[in-house]
Amino acid sequence: MVPALGLLAVFYAGALVGALRVSFLPLGGNIGDASPAAWQALFSDPAFVDALVFTLRITAVSTVLAAVGGVLLALALRGRGTGIRVIGALPVPVPHLIVATSAVLWLAPGGLADRLLGALPLDLIRDSGGIGVIAVYVYKEAPFIALLVLATMGQSLRGREEAAMVFGAGGLQRAAWVLWPAIRTPLVLGSVIVAAFAIGAFEVPLTVGPNYPPTLATYAFESTQGDVIAGEGRAAAALLVSGVLATALAAVAVRLARSVEGG
Amino acid sequence: MAEPLRQRLTQAVLVGLFVVPLAVIALQAVADSWRAPSLLPQQLGWRGFEVAFGTGGAASAIVNSLAVALLTTAICLLVGWPAARALGGRLLPRNGLIALLIALPLLMPTYLAGFGLTEWFIRLGIDGTLAGLVLAHVVLALPYAILILLSGFNRTVDELEEMASTTGAGPLRRLLWVTLPSMRPALGAAALLSFLVSWSQYGSSLAVGAGRSTLPIVMLPFVRSDPQVGAAFAVLFVVPALIALTFAARSQRSPL
Repeated sequence: MVPALGLLAVFYAGALVGALRVSFLPLGGNIGDASPAAWQALFSDPAFVDALVFTLRITAVSTVLAAVGGVLLALALRGRGTGIRVIGALPVPVPHLIVATSAVLWLAPGGLADRLLGALPLDLIRDSGGIGVIAVYVYKEAPFIALLVLATMGQSLRGREEAAMVFGAGGLQRAAWVLWPAIRTPLVLGSVIVAAFAIGAFEVPLTVGPNYPPTLATYAFESTQGDVIAGEGRAAAALLVSGVLATALAAVAVRLARSVEGG
Repeated sequence: MAEPLRQRLTQAVLVGLFVVPLAVIALQAVADSWRAPSLLPQQLGWRGFEVAFGTGGAASAIVNSLAVALLTTAICLLVGWPAARALGGRLLPRNGLIALLIALPLLMPTYLAGFGLTEWFIRLGIDGTLAGLVLAHVVLALPYAILILLSGFNRTVDELEEMASTTGAGPLRRLLWVTLPSMRPALGAAALLSFLVSWSQYGSSLAVGAGRSTLPIVMLPFVRSDPQVGAAFAVLFVVPALIALTFAARSQRSPL
């Protein structure tokens, strides 16, 4: 217990402290040189504001679509054989970069979807709305949420649904009073993980995202590429913003889930 | 709709959605020429793999990635086991709080984790080393390992161990004959996830690695610039993940 907790605590706190330090101090600087210059530069940079808005939009849309898609997929897979369930879970172990490779192959201009359909109505890859990024996340995360939700759709849920049916509950009533309470907790937890991942989004926007706006993580990466000294501080500050957002979102989601349960 | 027809329809939709798009990557990897509007490649060949292993540096990247992922997995299981055991056995007060603390790193963006750790790793002289990469990956993978192992340590395991000790089995025999076999599914799942988290890691490796190549790092530029090479990398990238998945699936078979 102690080694595990110690390791996690030291490195989790270490990463945060390290990033905080870089955001206030140039690398190798003394504590006396600390200044909020990087934070001021960050908040006055219009590109950061764009990155923040873009990241939040991608996160919100991908999380909602992945949650809805995941529940629908779980309902379709429910009670089916192992083979079909494995197919439904296929994208879960596949790394994001591979899904992004597939997205470029299929959805890029002149890609296979273009060739099959004649022409796609929209630019999906590297479009400024981030549709390509969202598509990759939903494709990868909806099956993940489906897996979590399916775990609660066992025999005992079937039994409760049948009992509700015997008492005359219709389809909608069964969904609201039997199915929803059973799947709510894994759905919220899964969505929190998906959202946290999308907020930290890095390799997916680098491959299928637009050149501008960046996400918070790619903004940080680009900052370190441009200006080595001042860029590091701004990158650290931007990454800390994304970390705080992910944690705050998780706290709100867990609280919401709990208060629904209480009421 | 008749049930068998509906079932077959679901199956077809899922295959079309999940199997075909990913399988076509393998075709693209060996498509030396595949111009629009053709739906099939005009010419097959090994250019993708030649570039991947040539200028792409795939060989050393694979070795690095495998070493880091296997070490990460081993450390996660060794360190995660006693932690999950203590949490699952409810030996501690405030279990919920501890579980929350363990889950916190799951919410940390990976690039932030790597970026913050680099600051320390430079001082320790381990930035850009395998040890640095393994440490950063362990921080990100260990929470998953603990949470999965935790789900394995349940009443049944406790009862089996108790039975074994009343029949006179010592601690070592209990571990080998009772605890490990009954924990096999959880161990398999925890190992798989630790391996995959490390194997697919991009953000933290980019920050901590200081140019040391892992497979995702060397692959990414090609996905944008040369899709055939990107696809060849994707094939190299997915095979170990599928092997790990097969091993994990075998460990899920009922052990007792």
